[in-house]
This record gives sequence, structure tokens and C-alpha cells, in this order.
Amino acid sequence: MTDVLDNEANDLLPARSGNRAWKKLKHNRSALLGLILVSFFIVAALAAPILPIADPAATSWSAIRKAPSAAHWLGTDEIGRDILSRMIWGARASLMAGVVSVIVATIIGVPLGLLSGYFGGWIDQVISRITDALLATPFLILAIALAAFLGPNLTNAMIAIGLSAMPKFVRLTRGQVLSVKTEDYVEGARAVGLADFSIISRYILPNVFAPVLVQATLTVATAIIAEASLSFLGLGQQPPDPSWGSMLNVAKNFLTQAPWMAWWPGAAIFLVVLGFNLLGDGLRDALDPREG
Amino acid sequence: MHSDADSNPSPLLAVDNLTLRFSSASGNVVDGVSFSVSPGETLCIVGESGCGKSVTALSLMGLLPMPPAQITAGSAMFDGKDLLRMPRREMAAIRGNRMAMIFQEPMTSLNPAYRIGDQIAEVVLRHRPVTRKQARARALEMLDRVKIPAAVKRLDDYPHQLSGGMRQRVMIAMALANDPALLIADEPTTALDVTIQAQILQLIRTLQEETGTALIMITHDLGVVAEVGDRVAVMYAGRIVEQGSVDDVFIDPQHPYTLGLMSSIPSLSKREGRLTTIPGMVPTVDTMPPGCRFAPRCPFAGAECKAAVPPLTDLSPGHAAACIRAPLEAEAHFDGAVA
Repeated sequence: MTDVLDNEANDLLPARSGNRAWKKLKHNRSALLGLILVSFFIVAALAAPILPIADPAATSWSAIRKAPSAAHWLGTDEIGRDILSRMIWGARASLMAGVVSVIVATIIGVPLGLLSGYFGGWIDQVISRITDALLATPFLILAIALAAFLGPNLTNAMIAIGLSAMPKFVRLTRGQVLSVKTEDYVEGARAVGLADFSIISRYILPNVFAPVLVQATLTVATAIIAEASLSFLGLGQQPPDPSWGSMLNVAKNFLTQAPWMAWWPGAAIFLVVLGFNLLGDGLRDALDPREG
Repeated sequence: MHSDADSNPSPLLAVDNLTLRFSSASGNVVDGVSFSVSPGETLCIVGESGCGKSVTALSLMGLLPMPPAQITAGSAMFDGKDLLRMPRREMAAIRGNRMAMIFQEPMTSLNPAYRIGDQIAEVVLRHRPVTRKQARARALEMLDRVKIPAAVKRLDDYPHQLSGGMRQRVMIAMALANDPALLIADEPTTALDVTIQAQILQLIRTLQEETGTALIMITHDLGVVAEVGDRVAVMYAGRIVEQGSVDDVFIDPQHPYTLGLMSSIPSLSKREGRLTTIPGMVPTVDTMPPGCRFAPRCPFAGAECKAAVPPLTDLSPGHAAACIRAPLEAEAHFDGAVA
């Protein structure tokens, strides 16, 4: 009997069901705009090594602070470097900082939130009080302090931003777990004898995943701004490697003579942050089970 | 599996004097409840909401959060071990394996983020030394057995793609996946509409006959008792007030509360006047009367009823009632006494 079924089960690859969330996202114009903006910057950043652009660190004494032209589409900076090239290479720093720091924040924050919400008791007390303390410190101040403490480079900036964003994920996850763990199916999972680890990983986590994903997308935008801020303060990407924040820092000295030096990084930060926010909002709507 | 149980009349589960309270309340929610179930037998626990029947079931499964719940006395012997004093880990190994439970709410009892085939397979994997593929085959076999049409396709459905009746079938498939010796069903049909109720009850009966599982059916519906029960225990305010074979209890109810329950069922054959109801309300845990807990609502109650708790006394072999007036006179009718 089992053998027959065994053979039958061989053909039963899990069928892919139509993705309702994606369908909803497709029909949301602003989310689609966000997706396009974000994809544009991601593609540019990924393609940087193969694009026919100048070396972002190559200086040219004959082309100092030149306005946008056919030779330098976005102009040149104070030591004659091509701004287009620096923008594209700088996108790598910004996006990487945004994504990596959010990964750091979720990898630490979500498990802590799961533990805190699921087990409660003293574990919850300890984790929640530490979270409260971290949340009481303004996000950017905490990131600056951590980055300064760890030492100024891009990796440390990403860690600092990730740690500063982490408490939000702890709190969000914990709250979601508290509501999900009272669901009948969690009780059901206990009734069939599943261990805590299985219940957390397969019954709790997938059901708290949607709000965490939305929060993560929105936090990428915050993290990109934070990275730009840290780089602006000299705590992020170090020269000569380009970053939008440090480009703005230099540009502020030449606002009257060469305003384009500030336009492009400013506009890029604005657009990528807008993109992630629109996308995050769209995801929130698409993943909301309360709307048909 | 049940060979030694078959040759030996000793019950599969023997609950003795189970007493349970919540730290927030002064009285016992379950007060000295004793019953037993043998392999292949169906015991119905019947009573109104709040009488402690679900709490009893949850405490046997070790699913009551403690605190606030607190078991103050009693034992529940299952496979030679006391369920009430079993270490957490050992209990988890029995749940879903030797004993399983079906819940009231099929709509919310399945994980919405998890394909049903995987959910059933996981239960098998948890308790059996099988491969993923074998567990999946077992899940398919179980879906077939609970008569889910096109089971092969359904394996990869998510719960929201199924109706309430189908989900309850999935719950039953999951509960029976490891051939439990004891199945506890906590109002498995209450959330379903009437036609589906009948189908599900029929299914549970058929599967029970096939597998020889002992069944504890918790319900407030005497119709369900008549349909599936071998024996019935009537609970009122945390105590068992009458216990016996379904025939005995239905034909010759001996406790005034059972009598009241019977006469408050609408009858199709005769329509005469108003439906009988039992006057008064179930006492809350904090306001339990001394002596017989039914006395304040009982038309036959006297001073002696409030003095001491009437013990559950055998009236005939296998039929017991906790009333000092028992055996009631055959002609004493509940509605007559009220009027």
C-alpha cells in the first residue's frame, strides 16, 4: 500500500500557486514606480564595472568643476573626477549599506523578537528592556556613536546602522508573535506534539513574515539616508572611494561655484529613498490579508 | 496494537478524581471528575458551555497553560503512566502520536502559511522514523481516508483554499495520521452546518471502527451523543453528575439535570406548548453552592442537598448518578415538577 503511494507521491511536486500579492502589487501604480526606481539604481550599481564610464578615482587637472557637458554628462568635481562615474560607483555603497544593514538588523532582531514573544517570562523582560533602552536613543545618534566607536569605514557604518535599526525589528516581531501565538493552529501544533523550535520556525515565523518584510523594505530607505549621513560626517565610505554622502559633503563647499556637484547625489538619494518607500507601502497593501 | 488491551478489560485511559482550579478563581473548575475509556469505545462528555468539559480535555492533553491552571488532585493513567504528572518532553512525544485531538474551529486550526500536505506530513515526521517522501505518501493516504476528493491535488493546497468541512477533514487526517490509541474530539462539529456535521460524525465513526481508536467526544449536543456515543458522562459545573451507557442514560435518566437536558430538546413528533427550560443559570466558579451544585436549580432539591456533595452512586451496573434522590421515580417528570 505504502509502496504504491510512494510511487504516486514521486510525481507530486509541490504546485506553484498563483501569487496573489504580486498581482496586487502589479496593479498598484505608485508601488510599480517604486519598483522601477529601485530596480534602476540596482541595475546601475551592479553594472558599474562593465559600463563605459571613466574611472571614478581618475583626476584631471584640465577638467576641474566643469558643468555637465557631452564629455562629462553630469559634470566634474573639485579635482576633475567624472561625477557620473562616481554616482554609479557610489550607488553601490549606498544600496549595499541599505541592504546589508537591514540584513544585520533582521538577522539579529527577528530571532530576538521571536524568542521574546514566544517564551515570554524573564527572556521577554530582558530582551524588551534592552530594546526599550535602544529605542529611547535617537536612531541617527546611536548610529553615529556606534560608527565612531567601531572606526570610520563602510563596513562598520553598515554594522552601526544595522544595530541601530535592530530594536524596531525586535519590537515589531514580538508584537506579531504575541498575536499569532494565540491562534488555534499554534495550539494545534502543540496538540500534535511538535517541538517549540518547529512551532516557531514553521507556524510562527511564516505568519509574522509579511509585516517584517514591509518593515525591512522601508528600513532600507532609512538606512540609505543614515549611510549618506554617516559618510557626510566622514564616518562612512572613506575617500577616494565614492559615496553619495561624502560627495555631498565636498559639494557643500562649492555650492555657489559648482552647484551640480550637489544636485546629483542629492537627487539620487531622494529618488532611491522615494523608491523604497513607495515599494514598501505597496508591499504593505499587497500583503495585507484584510483586503481581499 | 491493542492485543493486550483486548484480552485485558483494563481501560486505555483512566481518569481518577481530576481536580483543577484557576489561580484567579476560588472554586474548582473541574471537581473530582473520574471516567475511563477502553480501546474502540466512544465516551461522550456532554454539558453546557463552561461546565469544564473542554478544560478536562485540554488538561489530559497537557495543553492547559499552568499557571494560571493548577491541577490539585487526581490522576489520569494512560499506557501505565500518569498524564497529569508527565514531563513536558515526554508529553510532547505522546501528543499527536498515542493520543491526538481535534479542535472545534476548523477555520483557524490550520496554519495558513503551510500547505496541508506538508502539515500532515510534519506530524508523521515528528513521531515516526520515516523519510520525507514516505511522510508525504502517508499524508496522501490520510486525505484519501477522510474522503477528500482529488486528494493528490489537495496535498498542495493552502488552508484558505478549502471549505470548513474540508478543513475539519484535514484536521481529522492530521489527528489520525499516527494511528493514535486515543482521540479526543472537542466539539468537532459545532462550527459546521448541519449537513456537514452529519458527514463529519459519520466519518469519525467509520474511521474509529476501522482503527479501533478510543474516542472521547466532547459536545453540548445530545443529538451527537445519540449518534456516536457508547457511553456518556454528563457534566454540570465541573462535576460528572451522571454516567452510563447511552441507552441507559437516554431511556432512564436519573439525575435531575440530565432529565432537564432531555426534556429541553425540541421534539419533531409532538408539538405541545413551550419548550421546557431549566430555570436559573449555571453558577460561576466563584459562587459555587455547597453540596450539590445543581441544587439551586433543581425542582427536587431539599435541605439535605445543600448539606453534602452527593457521591456518584451506581444505580445499575455501569450506570451511576450523583443525586441523593436517585433512583428517581419513573413517573416524576421534570416539567411536571416545575409547573
